[in-house]
Amino acid sequence: MLHERRRYALLRWALLLVGTVLFLLPFYLLLRGALSTEADLASAEWHWLPPSWEWGNLAAVFGDRTVPMGRALLNSTVIAVTQTIGVLVLSGMAGYGLARIPYRWSNAVFWLITITLLIPAAVTFVPSFVLVSSLGWISTLRGLIIPGLFQALATFLFRQFFLSFPKEIEEAAALDGLSWWGTFWRVVVPNSGGFAAAIGTITFIGSWNAFLWPLVIGRTPDSWTVQIALSTYLTAQTSQISQLFMAALIAILPLLLMFLFLQRWIVQGVERTGISD
Amino acid sequence: MLGRLRGRQDVNLWFWVFVGPFFAGLVLFIYVPIGWSVYLSFFEAYNTVTPTEFVGLANYRDMLADRAFRDSLLTFVVFAAFIVPTTFALSLLTAVLVARTRLMQAFFRSVFFLPVACSYVVAALIWKMSIFSGMRSGVANAALGLVGVSPVPWLSITDPPWYWLVIVSARLWLQVGFYMILFLAALQRVPANLYEAAAIDGAEGWQVFRHITWPQLLPASTAVLLLLLINAFQAFDEFYNILSSFGSYPPYARPPLVYLYYTALGSGQNFGDGSAGAVILTVMIAVVALAQTRLLRLGGRD
Amino acid sequence: MARPLRPSSSLSRRRMLALTGAGALGASLAACGDNTGRGTSASDDAGAASGGGGRPTIAQWYHQYGEAGTQEAVERYAADYPDADVTVSWKPGDYDQSTAASLLTDAGPDVFEYGNGPTIDMIKGGQVADLTDLFGDTLDDFTPSLIERMSYDGMIWAVPQVLDMQVLVYRPSLLEQAGIEPPQQIPDLVAAARELSRGDVKGLFLGNDGGAGLLGGPMLWSAGLDYLDEDQVGFEAAGAAEALTVLRTLWTDESLLLGEAQDWFDATAFTSGRAAMQWTGLWTFPAISEALGDDFGAIPWPAMEGGAPSVPVGAYGSCVSTRAQDVEAAREFVRWLWIDQTDKQLDFATSYGFHVPSRASLVPEADVLTSGPAADAAAYVTEYGHAQTPLLWTPRCATAWNDMMSRVVRDGADAQAELEALVPIVEDELERVTA
Repeated sequence: MLHERRRYALLRWALLLVGTVLFLLPFYLLLRGALSTEADLASAEWHWLPPSWEWGNLAAVFGDRTVPMGRALLNSTVIAVTQTIGVLVLSGMAGYGLARIPYRWSNAVFWLITITLLIPAAVTFVPSFVLVSSLGWISTLRGLIIPGLFQALATFLFRQFFLSFPKEIEEAAALDGLSWWGTFWRVVVPNSGGFAAAIGTITFIGSWNAFLWPLVIGRTPDSWTVQIALSTYLTAQTSQISQLFMAALIAILPLLLMFLFLQRWIVQGVERTGISD
Repeated sequence: MLGRLRGRQDVNLWFWVFVGPFFAGLVLFIYVPIGWSVYLSFFEAYNTVTPTEFVGLANYRDMLADRAFRDSLLTFVVFAAFIVPTTFALSLLTAVLVARTRLMQAFFRSVFFLPVACSYVVAALIWKMSIFSGMRSGVANAALGLVGVSPVPWLSITDPPWYWLVIVSARLWLQVGFYMILFLAALQRVPANLYEAAAIDGAEGWQVFRHITWPQLLPASTAVLLLLLINAFQAFDEFYNILSSFGSYPPYARPPLVYLYYTALGSGQNFGDGSAGAVILTVMIAVVALAQTRLLRLGGRD
Repeated sequence: MARPLRPSSSLSRRRMLALTGAGALGASLAACGDNTGRGTSASDDAGAASGGGGRPTIAQWYHQYGEAGTQEAVERYAADYPDADVTVSWKPGDYDQSTAASLLTDAGPDVFEYGNGPTIDMIKGGQVADLTDLFGDTLDDFTPSLIERMSYDGMIWAVPQVLDMQVLVYRPSLLEQAGIEPPQQIPDLVAAARELSRGDVKGLFLGNDGGAGLLGGPMLWSAGLDYLDEDQVGFEAAGAAEALTVLRTLWTDESLLLGEAQDWFDATAFTSGRAAMQWTGLWTFPAISEALGDDFGAIPWPAMEGGAPSVPVGAYGSCVSTRAQDVEAAREFVRWLWIDQTDKQLDFATSYGFHVPSRASLVPEADVLTSGPAADAAAYVTEYGHAQTPLLWTPRCATAWNDMMSRVVRDGADAQAELEALVPIVEDELERVTA
């Protein structure tokens, strides 16, 4: 019996190590590509280490007039930050209103919100494009940011969270004469930091990595996000693959760092979605 | 009741102060576009979103008769048949492995979870240009070279359809970690006394999983399956970035959203057919999701 | 859809010094709301212009050309224009799709280039302005096939800028070693490709899709057919299926190089010796001669029995959007740059890579095209040139055609049946656009 348990442990460790290598390999390949010369990448033979480490790609990516990498990073940052803040405020407030304010039609409104969860946003990109184009928002930050501010899932989750928020605290606040507004901002929000951090981190990652909507809306290089800039060169014509790797490395580095530091919140957020209950 | 403390008068006002901005945006950016699209789908609308020529159901007939559109639905079915079971199995496996490991548990969890932060575009770049490059120096081809197999142009050929290996493995890498976390959360909720009872009964390894763990994971499993299916239906990013070139896309491995993108927003600019296609897809996904949600009783809980 | 004859340029093929990343980073967010390239005072100026005073502003769009210096050149031309402030936007990426989408909005260009002129739907949708009267008596000087390609309903909708072409390049030394003549007929090409394939070296590189995307047209022309015959389907004759099946034969012979990091628009596969022959564009010739010296030659796509050799030619045409702030000012600018300023046209055609000028009177002045394979290639334009695709060949036709080609070449589908299935789709489209 002991023998069998040891065999299980051995198998488990073997699988974990193989998995670790396979899951980390793509990151290494990205790094290796970014620090290779073009000739090394095009060479016929595979090398684990590039024959020479080429740091020039870094300067080249930012020094190239035709590749708006700097602008793309700036766009992505602006979009991800505003969308994160916007989603937290809009969905937080809506979630609280739905959870706590006993409005007659509250259930009907909630139903209209949740029903949109059944229709993934990606499926409606053609209709959304039609709307945004008639607003004249093609290739603008407005068009990239605003339609992404209304996340039914975030509202749904906030509502669930506020439903479980201890009512006694709020009732005490109400007795102190605080309005809904005051209760929300002075009592509820300060006690919801962890949950907001989870939703915020997930929103930020989703926004930074978003592809289809920025592809549809960002039609000029000035309005490209990092993902669109990378995709453009990946699917069009790439003479300098090593620089493309470097650009991709720059694009994921901030996120990987953030991810490592904030992993706790994300894990919590994923767990809190409650779908695994 | 909170409401009573503050008086009835304020309730309507405050509800809309809190919910109004979000709800207005939702109506404007989800309901209005869908309505507009339904409208467009009854018109011939080339290069315009304010068409004048009413064509009735012709666009729907076009789309349903369109071989490429039907093929794209088939592509989704094939893709789902690959990606749903493999992701399910792998994320469950990694969750069980990580959950059982006390030493370096946080490390392993991070390793499998880290790709979740990566975008599909970046993964597509690594997969297309490095791992599954058709050149001799591509990682997969270099590995094959060790056993004397000549280089395979993974993305060029359709027989055998190696492109599925490229597409599916890229998505696996990106999403296994996410579902692993869902399973891990569910695993942690399995009451410890169940395992103790099983140990007393002399149950071992696979038996424990089969009779104790798995039944407890069932709710999580149904949720994961639903999410996987909906996500597969929305597949766009990795297909587009791995297979398109110079604005053209091969007829194989072309999922519905990619086809719609080229029809409506490519140089075709055919918003009539594109809208009809979007409506068809929306109805399909809503029906599937509704059926599954029934199953999950997500709606019934509130 | 059809691949552009000349794909847009590459990531950092060269480094431009004029602007740095820091400059791009510093670009003010305020400008994000309006990316048309117009100055902030654009609307004021336009108002003033229609009032008779002040200078109009014109937003001009180009796709990103690969050759160093092209962007600076077009900016220089724009700066030289005395009658308006012209802002040039240089657009990497999927230029056709983003331009088509932008024309729906006010964020679009005033003047823009488009591959082979505007699409039939742009013309019929009233998105582009009629430019016929700009030509005057210079009309006869422009390559007739290009003018015809950009005309519809007796009006000309674009001014051809420069002409691009695709051609078959080969290594004379490799062919000699194998005792092979440059192929004149399709069967010779098939045999040569088979003969020249040795291990990792393949006889022929037609792109990573085995020529499915590029060579459908040339194969039709080889057989004496075409996509369309006026406003009728042009590929219904008996030889079509046989012609397309040739590409499948090359595929099953394993004579084709596949899976290259750089596709057909780049000559790396050819210059690195992985392919003995390659289908590519005239624009790669400088790179090829740098790598191989004199050891390369250019031939048209060979003929089948009953047909003639062929090369696809295309030209970006300069168009005016009807949503332009001042359509008349935009038209005047197009006349000035692409009709009056012949020295700029010659500079544009020959100083930044190899193009053929679109006007007959300028061809003799194009020095780079007077000798060697480039001269041969330029001569093929008049002798064997075909417009890449006809005007009435809509994006829907192109998509259906490309899907069909891929199935025939890669999957081995029956060409006859596939072509027959294509006929009703093309007829539907023809009926729609000619209605």
